[in-house]
Amino acid sequence: MAMDKMARPLTQCLQCSRHTHKALHIRTFSTTPPSRLEVEQQTPPPPPPNDAPPPAQQQQQQRDPYTVSTRHAETQLLHHQRRVPIGSRRRRAAMASTTQIPFSQLPYQCFQEARAYLKEDRDEKLGAIQQQRERIERLRQKSVPPEYAWRHENRVRSMLTSLEELKIQADINDPIVKKTFEDGQGDMSKPIYRHLADKQWRAYKRLILMQRITQMNVIPDVLPTIDPTVSTDLAFPIMKPSSIDNTPRLPRLKRIQHGDFVDSALSENAPTLYIQPYDKGTRLVTIAVVNADVPNVEKDGFDYRCHFLAVNIPISPTDTRVQLGQLGDDQVVLPWLPAWAQKGAPYQRMSVFILQQAQQSRSQSQAQAQSQPQSQSQSPSVNTATDSTSPGIPLDAAAIRDEPKYSTRLGFKLRSLVDRFALQPVGVDLFRTKWDGSMEGVMQRAGIVGWDVEFKRKRIEPLPYARKEGGRYR
Amino acid sequence: MTTRTLKAPSMATLACLESALSSLRITQRPTALPRIPQRNASHQAQGRANKAKQGPGKRLGAKKTGGEYVIPGNIIFKQRGTHWFPGDHCFMGRDHTIHAGVPGYVRYYSDPARHPTRKFIGLVFEKDQHLPQPTHAARRRHLGLLAYQMPDPAPSDALSNLDAPSTNPAITPSQPTTITLKPTSNNPQGLQLSLRPGYQYRQSNHEIGQAAERKEAAAQAKGKTTRAYDDFKPGDRFAAWRKSAVRIARNNERKAMGRGNKGKAKAK
Repeated sequence: MAMDKMARPLTQCLQCSRHTHKALHIRTFSTTPPSRLEVEQQTPPPPPPNDAPPPAQQQQQQRDPYTVSTRHAETQLLHHQRRVPIGSRRRRAAMASTTQIPFSQLPYQCFQEARAYLKEDRDEKLGAIQQQRERIERLRQKSVPPEYAWRHENRVRSMLTSLEELKIQADINDPIVKKTFEDGQGDMSKPIYRHLADKQWRAYKRLILMQRITQMNVIPDVLPTIDPTVSTDLAFPIMKPSSIDNTPRLPRLKRIQHGDFVDSALSENAPTLYIQPYDKGTRLVTIAVVNADVPNVEKDGFDYRCHFLAVNIPISPTDTRVQLGQLGDDQVVLPWLPAWAQKGAPYQRMSVFILQQAQQSRSQSQAQAQSQPQSQSQSPSVNTATDSTSPGIPLDAAAIRDEPKYSTRLGFKLRSLVDRFALQPVGVDLFRTKWDGSMEGVMQRAGIVGWDVEFKRKRIEPLPYARKEGGRYR
Repeated sequence: MTTRTLKAPSMATLACLESALSSLRITQRPTALPRIPQRNASHQAQGRANKAKQGPGKRLGAKKTGGEYVIPGNIIFKQRGTHWFPGDHCFMGRDHTIHAGVPGYVRYYSDPARHPTRKFIGLVFEKDQHLPQPTHAARRRHLGLLAYQMPDPAPSDALSNLDAPSTNPAITPSQPTTITLKPTSNNPQGLQLSLRPGYQYRQSNHEIGQAAERKEAAAQAKGKTTRAYDDFKPGDRFAAWRKSAVRIARNNERKAMGRGNKGKAKAK
């Protein structure tokens, strides 16, 4: 009978998941899809299968995101509990009617053999990690003559890189890790999840971003070149008052695709940026929003305008959100200016650049590292971040505010800022703006003159007509 | 089976008959005329067999040389296929013709950083400029536009002054761009119509789009609502049930009125 229950998910994959109440007599199997097995260790026992309760009780019922399988139940989960279902509907339907046997006691011999094999491999990798840590420690203790210090540093750095690779290799075959990541529940403080997320980003989203910024010439117009290593996600708050009593609601966020046109009413308020680094540690970044297409009639060309500039913003793999409107006074150099474009002018590219501030110099960081007790290297755990590097050298926002070159919006040159403060471009995002119905109000509210200016094509004198010899026209 | 009764005359019989008849002939039969050989057509004289000869010239090739001044729309190069590709400020027409996009001077160049083998035609703004531009340099661009004051600088004032509509709704020749309609029961605040493309006096699309919201806001101010149903709340099953009950009742009523019998007849 236990086997019968084991094989039930498979049969539910064969039948329609909505009609689970139908009892089906099936031949029992001794195998089952592994996707279900990975889950069972973590999931709590499911609530009774979903036959529709009366509407009055539905409001109170707590739905399990692992086991909801009807559209109705999914909607309820979304609206009442504000959670999204996890995994496919077929899998959830299968899980709702499966007995919960602990992961380690599942009766599939091949599966258990495979687990044992993976565990053996992981132990091997853990040993290698421990060994590598000890080696690095020994190397660091060694006194080096100053002329060979660079070689020593290179060696330590390459050993640290291989240590990071080992940490990833230790976990990369773990089915639980894979499942957790695919459910979107990966812990970004752990190297393996950072590695997987980075891989996923580079496989699709980064390609799109690179295509947008090269096809729309953000590089080389704003900066010569960029190799993004952090992913960015831009979202604007929707400040829409409630339609019932006109009280302002909590702002919802509207995510913007890279390079999308943004309505001027939406971009009036400062956006929220989600900056996701894929390497460990906190770092300080400078965020600049530059418009590269400000029309200049006098020189018959385009200018740059800075719409936002803030420095010393700490970001880390686990702390990704930056609300541009709510930064401190020691961070903001130029506060948010709504994106605007006058009527008739070509669309304007608003590029968002994430610039990493300089880390501490090598000798400083080394001295700091040596002074710190390396207590963390004793633990064999892979998942803790071992090396705590300093976030970076903070810039003086007040001093930048005093420099007219960087505190003037019009004519702002990002190339100059990058060179002056030794910033490293690590991330980029893009949205576009053009004249629309609400632009006039946005410009008036922001106190921008020129909302009643319209651009029209300049007449280009035609070439003089080359008149042929007279005989042709007779 | 049938048996042959008639026999063909033998060659000897025929020869006798020939000699007998020859004595009766008036003219002498010409003997041994020289045989003229006949030539049949062994080669097609017309059509595709003789290979298409060179037709009229298609006048392809460069229409503007390097360094020549062009204005937008000028044809720089006519070609079959893409011998040349459009570079800076040029564009390619339907038949691969290269046109100028801005006023400037023509440059024929190759840009290995952009494509290893392609040849490009581009434009520069000044005579001493060259192509391709240095790698990673910001592009050279011209605006090509002039700024004008908008002809109707006060649509927002008109919106804000909706409460006090002007007393002269007639179109005056000096200001034919905007007319104001008097308030009616449908439009208690009057309407401000402006001349739109296509010579129509109407509201802007933006205003039309906001009409429902304005109406609702006005109703809310009076403590009413224009909505047939309450604000949609996801998950409010009771409201949904009421709505669907109304819809079903309406559909039943409609069926009973018009097509009920027809449907029943078909069902039978």
